[in-house]
This record gives sequence, C-alpha cells and structure tokens, in this order.
Amino acid sequence: MESLIQKFNAVPDKLAVDKCVIIAAEKLIEAVKFLKENSFDVLIDIVGIDYLGMENHNAPRFAVIYCLKSTKNMERLRLKVQIDEGETISTLSEIYPIADWQEREVWDLFGIVFENHRNLKRLLNHVEFEGHPLRKDYPAKKRQWLTENDKMQDQLEARLETLGYKVVSH
Amino acid sequence: MQNEMPGFFAGKLNELVSWGRSHSLWPFPYGTACCAIEFMSTESARYDLSRMGSEYVRFTPRQADVLAVSGTITFKQAPILKRIYEQMAEPKWVISMGACACSGGFYDCYCTVPGIDCIIPVDIYIGGCPSRPEAFFDAMIELQEKIKNESYMQERKKKLKEQWENLKWKA
Repeated sequence: MESLIQKFNAVPDKLAVDKCVIIAAEKLIEAVKFLKENSFDVLIDIVGIDYLGMENHNAPRFAVIYCLKSTKNMERLRLKVQIDEGETISTLSEIYPIADWQEREVWDLFGIVFENHRNLKRLLNHVEFEGHPLRKDYPAKKRQWLTENDKMQDQLEARLETLGYKVVSH
Repeated sequence: MQNEMPGFFAGKLNELVSWGRSHSLWPFPYGTACCAIEFMSTESARYDLSRMGSEYVRFTPRQADVLAVSGTITFKQAPILKRIYEQMAEPKWVISMGACACSGGFYDCYCTVPGIDCIIPVDIYIGGCPSRPEAFFDAMIELQEKIKNESYMQERKKKLKEQWENLKWKA
C-alpha cells in the first residue's frame, strides 16, 4: 500500500475501515499490473457507486471500486477510482479475464463506460431495457414491459467456436 | 334457457369429465425462488401431492394441466412465462404461489413484475412467504372444486360455435 501511494500518487481513503486507496483513472492499469505482479492474484469484484444527492460530497459523481485479494498473503485491498458523468475508464479484462463480466454488470447498472471492452452488453437486464437502474436519478417506481425473448444465439455460437466446434449457419 | 339444462347423458358425461379432470391435474412447476422448495416438499413423500392425483410433475408445458408459478417473476423472465402459458394445451389452470408471484411481494423495484396476473390469467392465489405445503393442498382442493363446477359440454358447444363461425367467415 505504501509503494502504491509513492508510485502512483494514490491517496488513502479516509472513510474506509479497511485498506482502500483513491487512484487516478489514468494510472489504474499500471497500478493493477503492479499489484498483480505483487501477489494480488484475484479480482473479487468491481462495484459502482453513485454519489448523486449525497451531502458533503465534493468529489465526482461516480466511483468504481476494484476489490483485490492476495491468496498468498491473505491480504485484501480496494482501489477507488472517481469519475464524473461522461468520463470513461479503461478495461481490466486484459489483466483479469473475470473483469469482462464484472465491467458489463457495472455498465448495465450504472452506465459507466469501459474503454476497449470487447463486448460491452447488458449482463443482468434485458436487451430491450432502457436506462441504468441503479443510478440515483432513475425513477424508483418506473416499470418497463419487455416483450421479446432474449436471444443468446450469437453468444452461444461464439462460445462454441472458441471451444473448437464449427458452427454451420442455415 | 333450454340449452343450459343438459339432458341425462350430457349431464352424466359432464360429471364424468370434470371428475376425471379434477383428479388427474398434472402440474408444471415454474419454480424460481424459495416457494419452489416448498412445492418440492409438497410433491415429496412427507406431504405427497399424489394423493390428489397430481404425482406427475410434467416438465413440458404440452403435457401439463396446471401451471404452478412459485417464485419471483422478473421482467426479463415475463416473456418466457407467457410463452409457456401459451404452449400449454387446453384446458389449463394457473396457481400463483406465494407473495412474489401474487403481487411482487416486497420487491418493489425496477425489475420485478407486480403480480403474474399482469401477464397471464390466474385461477387460484396462495399467500405466504413462502407458502406452506398445506396452503398448496388447500389451493389444489379449491381448484378441484372449481373444475367440478365447470361444464365440459358448455365449453365444447362454445368451441364448436367458434369453429362454425370461422368456417362461415372463410366461406
């Protein structure tokens, strides 16, 4: 944690009870690569936070938190990246493959765009769904009626092809 | 009306068909949450739903009579549920099991359907979170009563009339 603070100008998060540092969005990839080399081998979760309407909050609207764990030293560390609306973060799916789905989830619920993500589609919500439901300005009572069945054919075919099957189209 | 009073043969046939239907209700378990666990308990040896003639749980909608919706239905799932209901052959009945299926329960949010009666017609509602097997039995007995009061000949007459109208319209 000390080396992170020195190398990447990270700031310890005063609100956190555990190890958590606030880091600039540009330095995220370097920091995560550095951490992966230093035994943080598991990316547990990516979490989005919307601070809209929060009192005494003088930072950008959104925050993305990366929860990392080291299975060797049994350590945990959180990286917090603060971004405003319209800004983007670069994807971590090159470093941790699991980040692919976790970033899709954060994009689905908060609308935070991850750059260079190879398949930024909705993960939890339906394809016809409009808006990002965990944003604070999404109306809580709003219901959306969906009519089409969700077709997973293209994803299934892509998956089969990666497993070495040949998909014959009709 | 003269037509509403069936003769001896038709009356006995009515009774026979409704009796047969009401004692061989094959459920289709549409289980999505904890109510489905209670449904499994209802089916298994301790409570034994086969006493009602419902021992066959059919996992294809084409062979099922009762759609037992047990659990939370999300908007993403709603088209699938509707499709399954449409795939079931007539006659068909629907049991809505538990608070979530009846009204959305405590999931008052963007993703949960506020009651499956927004999508498909429901015959029997069961309360509870989750509802107990006894409640499911109560609903089945009530459904049997309902089926016994239905008239097979009246249904058939209605259907034949519809077919005749269709034929006339086509010709």
